Amino acid sequence: MKSSNPTAVANRRYVVEIVVCMLAYIAVLVPAMWLLNRGIEGPLKLVVAIAPVVPVAFVFLAVLRYFAATDEFQRRLMVESLAIAGGITALLAVTYGFLQNAGLPYLSAWWTYTAFMAAWLIARLFVSRNYDA
Amino acid sequence: MTNRIRVLRAERDWSQAEVADRLGIARQTVVALEAGKYAPSLPLAFKISRLFGKTVEEIFDADSVS
Repeated sequence: MKSSNPTAVANRRYVVEIVVCMLAYIAVLVPAMWLLNRGIEGPLKLVVAIAPVVPVAFVFLAVLRYFAATDEFQRRLMVESLAIAGGITALLAVTYGFLQNAGLPYLSAWWTYTAFMAAWLIARLFVSRNYDA
Repeated sequence: MTNRIRVLRAERDWSQAEVADRLGIARQTVVALEAGKYAPSLPLAFKISRLFGKTVEEIFDADSVS
């Protein structure tokens, strides 16, 4: 039997929304890459290039909806882990920025996203452990 | 902040999952509450007190605030 516990409902909805967003991301990314590789030009090129951002923006929306619907303790875990992840990412970005000044290769902006997501995951594990029985 | 949630729950023979469902919160939240690792908001504290038919003071120990 499915529970009507609002936090459990929020969890289920979050998982479904993330899966749908991932599938939509692939569904947009593959044709977008194909079109770009065919060498389209002009404003259309930019539109196609940023098209995969739309499903990613929906991921953000799903996170916000989860944040609003889950219970207060889960919300605290999220806030704390996101704060730590943001701090770690900022520190890494600034550190590498200075290393670039010293001649290290310029990295793609993609790395900040990857670093943030990895930091969020790790921070979440540590923050959860802080509240363990 | 220590509390008597675990004892009250055991008296009623409820699982942590059952308490979580009755309060509309995650089981992990019940675990943190019982361990005294998380002090609930005032609304949740009142919800807990109503669930067990006790006053907030009967469940939460005001002198154990760290």
